[in-house]
This record gives sequence, C-alpha cells and structure tokens, in this order.
Amino acid sequence: MMKAQQLAHLIRQFSEDLPTKGKTLPPKAIAQIAAETNLRGWQIESQALERGVMPLRYSRNAQSITITDQRKLLESSVAIVGLGGLGGITVETLARLGVGRIRAADHDSFEPGNLNRQALASMDTLGQPKAEVARQRIAEINPSVEFEAQTVRLDDETMTDFLTDADIVLDALGGLEMRRALEQAASKTNVPLVSGALAGWTGYIATIMPDNSGPAQIMGTNNAAEEKLGCLPMTVNYVSALMVNECVRLLCTGKSPVSGHMLLIDLATLTQELVLI
Amino acid sequence: MKITLKCFATLAPHLPDNADEFPIEPNETVVSVAQRIGIAPDEINLIFVNSARAYLETELQDGDRLGLFPAVGGG
Repeated sequence: MMKAQQLAHLIRQFSEDLPTKGKTLPPKAIAQIAAETNLRGWQIESQALERGVMPLRYSRNAQSITITDQRKLLESSVAIVGLGGLGGITVETLARLGVGRIRAADHDSFEPGNLNRQALASMDTLGQPKAEVARQRIAEINPSVEFEAQTVRLDDETMTDFLTDADIVLDALGGLEMRRALEQAASKTNVPLVSGALAGWTGYIATIMPDNSGPAQIMGTNNAAEEKLGCLPMTVNYVSALMVNECVRLLCTGKSPVSGHMLLIDLATLTQELVLI
Repeated sequence: MKITLKCFATLAPHLPDNADEFPIEPNETVVSVAQRIGIAPDEINLIFVNSARAYLETELQDGDRLGLFPAVGGG
C-alpha cells in the first residue's frame, strides 16, 4: 500500500467520533500510527487535520487557532537559544501548542538558584544538563514534537549552523553577552528573531526581522540590571508568554506589529509600552 | 510645562513622587531631567518619548511621556 493511503487508512481506523467534537484522534493513536508508518507525530497530526480529523490534544487550541494555522504550527521549525528561565517555559508552551520541530541549545546544568523561576528546575533535576531535562519533559508532554536539544555553548560560528532551516529563532539567553552575536547570526541566515529579557519586575520582548537592528545594540553587554534585581518567576513567565505569542503570530501570518519595536513591560506598575526603536 | 516620567528596573527607585506631573523648563533635555532625579547618563540604555526612541539631547515638550530604561538582559 502506498504510504499516503496507508496513513489515510490508519487515521480513519484510529479516529473516534465524539458527539460535540466530530472526528478526533486520541494522543495514544498518534504514537501507534507513528510506530506503524515511521512518520513523526507532527506529520500525522497535520495530515489528520487536513482530513478533518482533530488530534484531541489540540482540541482546545481549535476554538481560537484555525485548522490552517494549527497545521502551519505543526509544520514549523523553531530554534531557541537558552533553556533557563525563559527557555524552559517557552519550549513547554511551544510543545503544548503543537509546534512540530524545536531545536534548542543550552550549555548549563540546573543549580539551586534556578529553582525560583526555571520551569524545568526541580529537586530531581538539580545538577542535570538543561538540554537533557528539556528533552525528557517535551517527550512527556507531547511526543509528536521533534525536539532536538544540544548541551553546547553556541559561539559566533556554531550559531549560524544552529539557525539553518529554522522558520523563527527565539532568544532566551541569560545575560547580554551573546545576544548581539545571535542577532547578527539571525540576520545573516535570514531568520526572524524574537528576543526576550528581564530583570526583577521589568522585561521586554522585541521582534527583529532580518536586516533590522534589535535591542542588543541598545542594551550593550555589561552592567545588566538582573545582577542587582535578580529574575522573578512571574516576570519570566509573562515575558515567555509574550515571546511565544510573537512566535505564533509570525509563523501564522509572517508579520507582527512588534516588528521594529520593543514591547516593554513592568509588573510592579502594570505598565506596557510599545516603543519604536 | 509638565511631563510624565517612567523609570524601569534599577532606575525605578529614582522616580519622584510628582512623576505624573514633573515640572520642566523650556528646552530642557532628557539628560537634564535624568540628572535632576539622580540618574547618571551611563545608567540609561533606552530612552523613549511618547513611545518613540529618543536620546539624551532630545528636548522635551509640555505633556511628553518620558521613559528611562537601563540595560536588562536576564533570562
């Protein structure tokens, strides 16, 4: 049997008709079809959606994200640098949304000071490489996602390779040191970049299209406020949510009103400012 | 002439009580206002006036909203 026919047959075979939801595929069925076809979960889910079958794990996205856009997310590839505070919660959100391919890098391991804010830091994961913990976590949440995580400190040279073939890159770095290099690599490889950073109650995101300049030049490389103010978990999660929101918007529409701007937020004063930079 | 002042992150403690109606002189610049509230120019990385990027030498007008933002890079 041709592969496409086999897939269509399996999707029909495993799909369940639910009273209010129509034809659906339960999460376990995706794994069974993947085992039989050697296809990735995200590929099966995209094909199911094309045939009017809703993977149940995305049924609560479906009321707000169209089937066309859910398929775009499934067929997208996102690169993310950093799996600490911003990166950990961001990859989890991307996996729950159904972004099909995620490539991540972080050279670090979890330490006690990460426990206040880093979603993947726990008593069990202290001392373990962040990339490895992220790989396990994403496999637990959504095995349909093709998740590749490297324990590596990216430098000017390896950054370019890391971004190749990505539709979007997310800057979830800790500290300012490497952010300029990432902006330059994203521009060189023609990949839109969504950058996020914070200190204490304050944070920002920026969406930088290739050839545009972003916040890295404005922020410089030292005396960063987080050394004095630390990083609070609600600010981390808020900035991450804004980054993922940008990512989804760019993947689905190719543009964003944040492009060319910085969106500044401050939770102490409940301030939000979209600043043209 | 009065402006609205906003100071972020490490600059927030410099925010004066009258930040919502901060008096300025005619032709007063951003750097002058910053110094009056005890912020050195090298502590400021991003300045914005009415949601557009501005600079230390930018002259302020009545009713402007001035924001001062330091280097922030945590994750």
